[in-house]
Amino acid sequence: MVRKNHPKPEVEDALRYAEENGWRVDVGGSHAWGKIYCPYNDKECRSGIFCISSIWSTPKNSGNHGKQIRRVVDNCTKHNNVNESSPEEE
Amino acid sequence: MNEYDFTLKFNLEDSQADPDDFIEKLYAGGCNDALIGVGNKGYVALNFIREASSAYEAISSAINDVKRVVPAATLIEASPDLVGLTDAAKILGYTQQNIRNLIIKSDSKSPIPVYEGTDSIWHLAEILIWLREAQTYSIDDALLDIAQTNMNINIAMSWQKIAPDTQESMKALAV
Repeated sequence: MVRKNHPKPEVEDALRYAEENGWRVDVGGSHAWGKIYCPYNDKECRSGIFCISSIWSTPKNSGNHGKQIRRVVDNCTKHNNVNESSPEEE
Repeated sequence: MNEYDFTLKFNLEDSQADPDDFIEKLYAGGCNDALIGVGNKGYVALNFIREASSAYEAISSAINDVKRVVPAATLIEASPDLVGLTDAAKILGYTQQNIRNLIIKSDSKSPIPVYEGTDSIWHLAEILIWLREAQTYSIDDALLDIAQTNMNINIAMSWQKIAPDTQESMKALAV
């Protein structure tokens, strides 16, 4: 099933990056465009609270919102342990 | 105006609260510059990248934005503040080896950890000031401003854990 694209290219790119790293993207909401879900949802994870993060449809700054999403994906300690040699972003 | 990048974590009074009840309101309440984390039940975290004239203005307006929408939320942590070497390296963009050598093998008196053990912990602000002043590294002003403000907020929150009738006597011991 193909999900709906995010209207902001910078955010859409970051969502694809999350998906490449195993995250699930669920669309739904109004101001909130959807949510992203970490594949591990590990209680031990340092950034565990961001294992489920809400994505805005129209963030104040799309570039920054994309950066925030990428950082959450990169901070996933479980993923980094599983895949030590994960490719550097950009 | 500068951009300030920081994360605030709140405890929700209702541990079963449904985040969808307040996420939409947070947008209207001015948090359109935050990524909201709802992965732990009973808590919410917001990673802001906020434009403001100072870290204090950025953080205080962010706390007010959240409290207006979710009055029962109580702030429990402002970050970045307390860091291990891995966190510090990540924030500064150094390798972990590099920062370890700097702090542990330095000839000049290095910043004192808040907790010393297998994984020691520092206040980021104290590492940044030391890097800038003793090691003449270039440190981003906005990052230092955020780290100092977060340290102050976290210490102020800790201070409130001391029973009011013992605050004076405890303060006298902290010399």
